[in-house]
Amino acid sequence: MLMAASVFLPLLGAIIAGFFGRLIGDRGAQIVTCTCIGLAAICSIPTFADVALHGNHHLVHVMTFLSSGTFEAAWSLRFDTLSATMVMTVTCVSTLIHIYSCGYMSHDDSQPRFMAYLSAFSFAMLMLVTSDNLVQMFFGWEGVGVMSYLLIGFWFKKPSACAAAIKAFVVNRVGDFGFLLGIFAIYYLFDTVNFDTIFEAAPGKAESTVTFFSHQWHALTITCLLLFVGAMGKSAQLFLHTWLPDAMEGPTPVSALIHAATMVTAGVFLVARMSPVFEYAPSALAFVTFVGATTAFFAATVGCVQNDIKRIIAYSTCSQLGYMFVACGVSAYQAGIFHLMTHAWFKALLFLSAGSVIHAMSEEQDIRKMGGIWKLIPFTFAVMTIGTIAITGIPPLSGYFSKDMIIEAAYNSGTGIGKYAYFMTILVALLTAFYSWRLVFITFFGAPRADHHTMEHIHESPLVMLIPLGALALGAMFMGGGFNHLFVGEGREAFWHEAIKVLAPHDSIERAHQEHAPFLIHHLPLIVSLTGLAIAYWMYIVRPGTATRIANAVPGLYRFLLNKWYFDELYNFIFVRPAFWLGRVFWKVGDGAIIDGLGPDGISNLVGRTARRLGVVQSGYLYHYAFAMIIGIALVVTWIVAGQPGVAP
Amino acid sequence: MITGTLAIGLAHYLTVAAILFTLGIFGIFLNRKNLIVIMMSIELMLLAVNLNLVAFSAFLGDLVGQVFTMLVLTVAAAEAAIGLAIVVVFYRNRRSIEVEDINKLKG
Amino acid sequence: MMNAVPDFAPAFPEIMLVLAGMVFLLFGVLRERDSMQLLTGAVIAAMLIAGVLILRQPDTGAVTFGGLFLINGFTGFAKLLTLGGAMLTLVLINNWAQTAGTARFEIPILVLFATVGMLLMISANDLIALYVGLELQSLSLYVLAAVHRSDLRATEAGVKYFVLGALASGLLLYGMSLVYGFAGTTTFAGLATATASGGNIGVLIGIVFIIAGLSFKVSAVPFHMWTPDVYEGAPTPITAFFSVAPKIAGLALFLRVLYGPFGPMLHQWQQVIVAISVLSMAWGAIAAIAQRNIKRLMAYSSIGHVGYALIGLATGTLEGARGMLFYMLIYIVMNVGTFACIMAMRVNGKAVEDISALSGLARTRPMMAAGLAALMFSMAGIPPLAGIWGKFYIFMAAVNAGLIVLAVLGVLASAIGAFYYLRVVKIMYFDEVGPVIERPNAVTGTLIAVCSVAMLAFFIVPSPLVDSAAVAAKSLFPG
Repeated sequence: MLMAASVFLPLLGAIIAGFFGRLIGDRGAQIVTCTCIGLAAICSIPTFADVALHGNHHLVHVMTFLSSGTFEAAWSLRFDTLSATMVMTVTCVSTLIHIYSCGYMSHDDSQPRFMAYLSAFSFAMLMLVTSDNLVQMFFGWEGVGVMSYLLIGFWFKKPSACAAAIKAFVVNRVGDFGFLLGIFAIYYLFDTVNFDTIFEAAPGKAESTVTFFSHQWHALTITCLLLFVGAMGKSAQLFLHTWLPDAMEGPTPVSALIHAATMVTAGVFLVARMSPVFEYAPSALAFVTFVGATTAFFAATVGCVQNDIKRIIAYSTCSQLGYMFVACGVSAYQAGIFHLMTHAWFKALLFLSAGSVIHAMSEEQDIRKMGGIWKLIPFTFAVMTIGTIAITGIPPLSGYFSKDMIIEAAYNSGTGIGKYAYFMTILVALLTAFYSWRLVFITFFGAPRADHHTMEHIHESPLVMLIPLGALALGAMFMGGGFNHLFVGEGREAFWHEAIKVLAPHDSIERAHQEHAPFLIHHLPLIVSLTGLAIAYWMYIVRPGTATRIANAVPGLYRFLLNKWYFDELYNFIFVRPAFWLGRVFWKVGDGAIIDGLGPDGISNLVGRTARRLGVVQSGYLYHYAFAMIIGIALVVTWIVAGQPGVAP
Repeated sequence: MITGTLAIGLAHYLTVAAILFTLGIFGIFLNRKNLIVIMMSIELMLLAVNLNLVAFSAFLGDLVGQVFTMLVLTVAAAEAAIGLAIVVVFYRNRRSIEVEDINKLKG
Repeated sequence: MMNAVPDFAPAFPEIMLVLAGMVFLLFGVLRERDSMQLLTGAVIAAMLIAGVLILRQPDTGAVTFGGLFLINGFTGFAKLLTLGGAMLTLVLINNWAQTAGTARFEIPILVLFATVGMLLMISANDLIALYVGLELQSLSLYVLAAVHRSDLRATEAGVKYFVLGALASGLLLYGMSLVYGFAGTTTFAGLATATASGGNIGVLIGIVFIIAGLSFKVSAVPFHMWTPDVYEGAPTPITAFFSVAPKIAGLALFLRVLYGPFGPMLHQWQQVIVAISVLSMAWGAIAAIAQRNIKRLMAYSSIGHVGYALIGLATGTLEGARGMLFYMLIYIVMNVGTFACIMAMRVNGKAVEDISALSGLARTRPMMAAGLAALMFSMAGIPPLAGIWGKFYIFMAAVNAGLIVLAVLGVLASAIGAFYYLRVVKIMYFDEVGPVIERPNAVTGTLIAVCSVAMLAFFIVPSPLVDSAAVAAKSLFPG
């Protein structure tokens, strides 16, 4: 009952606020949605205690919704340690963000819609994490995608918001396509989509192969790679990352909830959930590690030179997701999920305090126009600093525990790709510290660079926004230390039970605990993190202006980073422009005067020169239409007759 | 039966029917001028089919083909009537039954 | 066979409808005032009675009229779908005619006769019966397309539909004559026996011609060229009718013909259907992108949907047939709802068809926008709306039948196709407020609400519908 409540209450809130928003008004919608999600969060805590701490796993059957032959998919809620952890994280963070939104969106004229979207998103995310089979998971997966699309485009009057929404949707479709093919592959291999059955059968399929393009492929590797493509799309990994920074066009609470704390981690969750399958596909794991490490590095370098406060945090998210994938790739799924949880708290904190800064600065997002405001908004400054300490991995805040574990696991993975990941993650730790502190220093210190008018209006946010910030700050401080023992420490076996499966030879966490790494290796993450802090302090506090000099010294590198490695331009060049060009070639033949100059002319490529002489096929002329039919049947008859030597005349 | 080089078999009927059918089809898409010609071409196609059916019927010694022919003829008459009616209403609006003038809807 | 009086019982619904149609016709002619409203009610009542009669028919099936007419679970299911589609669109047609002042008592009667033609097609058990049913349907549809006599575009649509339809009928007949000649019979049972040994090239060519003729009726590429023009030209609710009932009847007939008499030749015709299906999906997805007129958009959309449905046909399996029936069931509801939205697109008392008229609809008519958005999401195949389930069963059947490439192409086409459906949503939600669309009237409003809620709520209990589709499909595979 508690479990079902924690999943379905947000839906109830969304329905009430969505359909009766006008009836109950702004205030009513806020109260309803916050109450529902809050109750869900309260329900999730005893559930977590019961499932994770006492080891009672549950399967709540809701209904059977599909059955056809051997294919059967039930709609049930699966509560094991993995999903209980996710449910607790999602509902708690979501509750705080709901409350924050009441203050942040108070000037908006469609608040019920916003609150309904937020709740509906939470529901979809909960469906995703509690799903018992891949089809149900795909539901949630698409559900969060759609809600994210709607929320990014929430301010639909901004053209950039619409563009970002569409970009997010399209890029995600690419990933979803991979995920869908992955589900097909699973069904093809295992003849089921239910997790339990798949996990049981996975060891037996470890050696099976599929023939494709007359080549034998390792079946599980292909399957895992396809699933991972889905994960890459959702979690904004390299090549499919371009939508995430643009998604910052949405309202800040959305960025915090969807694009930092929850939805983007769905990819990590997917890999962890499918760990019993991934374990038998070492090549796929290597690929996961590689992509994760490379993304972490890429995003961190870009984050160092951005000037939009939300974009910096967005790239930082991208980079941290890379960490989580590295953890999964070296079979330290527990560490990945641990980092996912701590990250949810401190990243939501960072985003919301960024929102608070933006709010204070009269909607200014460029950090170059801030500065010297820490005395004016001390509380925001304090919590943002806490978030920054947490993300840079300075003990005893939460980031230290989870991030350290990942780096150590990578070091101990014993594979070549693990070594690569180790060096990358160390480097990224340095960069993370640098850009995170750079953000704090530029935003809060130095001489005020905002205009007089803005400076006069700077004020601390209302209490309804500060309370969630405080709560998140507490989470960012203590989540890591509090759960370290259970998630990745000695207690992890009892904690995770069957939820995550790691083959003994892969168990990098175990080795990290067993083998004592050299002192330097062990403390290197902390050392580089402090180094990053020192560099940032020197560049932006001691010697302001150093950054500009460096940028001028290496203009090529600076532009390269500022333009995000030219990924957008590259995609524009490779995909978007040829697509438009192809579109024009297809449609612009002949009548330019047809509606919009886009009269369709596709078939002329099929029927060739003859048809071209007769004109555009969908020309409105009867004889062209008849001709197409005749050509069609002539081709089919020829093809059939030629292809049927066995049929006696 | 006539014998020798003049023997007319099933294949001849089928060939003639095929030629008629093809002529009908060509009539539909080569003709740019008159809708009535298209109506005639359609009739030609149906007649080719009838010829086929009757030839097969005779060849197989089975009456069903001829029954089919009767039905096709009947339906063809109804089709022609409806077709002409539609052409008439079109003419009232467009003041033309040239095939090239039927081009308001396109794209 | 030689009974002096055949058994009328299996054909009773059709006979009743034909008699009713003739009585209504006389009534309409003899009555001084126009009686469209009244006759629409009467026709819907007659169809409802026919539906009840069909429901009460025995599950075991029956053959009558010397083997020309057959009923079983499959025909019953398909007939109910057709009747349902016809009744829903008839409501729309009447609503349109009364508001636009184009009421004419022939319209419901023509719809009735077209529907009877469809029912006969579905039940045909002989090439002759098939032809007669098909022509009864087609001739009524030609007239319906041009029923708005004073409108140039409607009459042009009528002319085009007629000429191309007659050409398609010619192809179909030519194919039938070849099949008759080379197999020696026109009955489905006889043909099944004749083709069991593998058939010959003459029969095969005949089948190709028959496929071409039927493809025209369901507007599959490359026999689809009439579709966009006729959809655009015909009055909107008539287009709705075109997009629903004949498609179901045509696809049901496709299933009957290819799985029954030509079932043994699966491997010969399968590749043709695969090719047509792929072309239709691709064409529907790509060509729609350039469209500005929402009715043309719907034309390409239905070309695409037919492509997906044909995947089910191409499998040649029970699962495929079930997927196809199920797909059509969802398709009807989606299409009726969307056309209700199109009919509601009126600005200052005039109907508009340009997609840009929808801009900013989310702010001026939020409920209508939400309904249309649900329908569009469903068409695009975004879970959890109903549309994805139709596709899901179809693709699953294709994968199980070994047509993996076809399934992958289908997924790809639906990904491309999603673009233009979502563009409509984008225009409604993100564009500047355009012309203010009038409040939908009671009939269209109700239909929009019912259809979109059906799409949304569908995933809660799909099983009964899937099961009944499965039961219906089973009777296609005797033994």
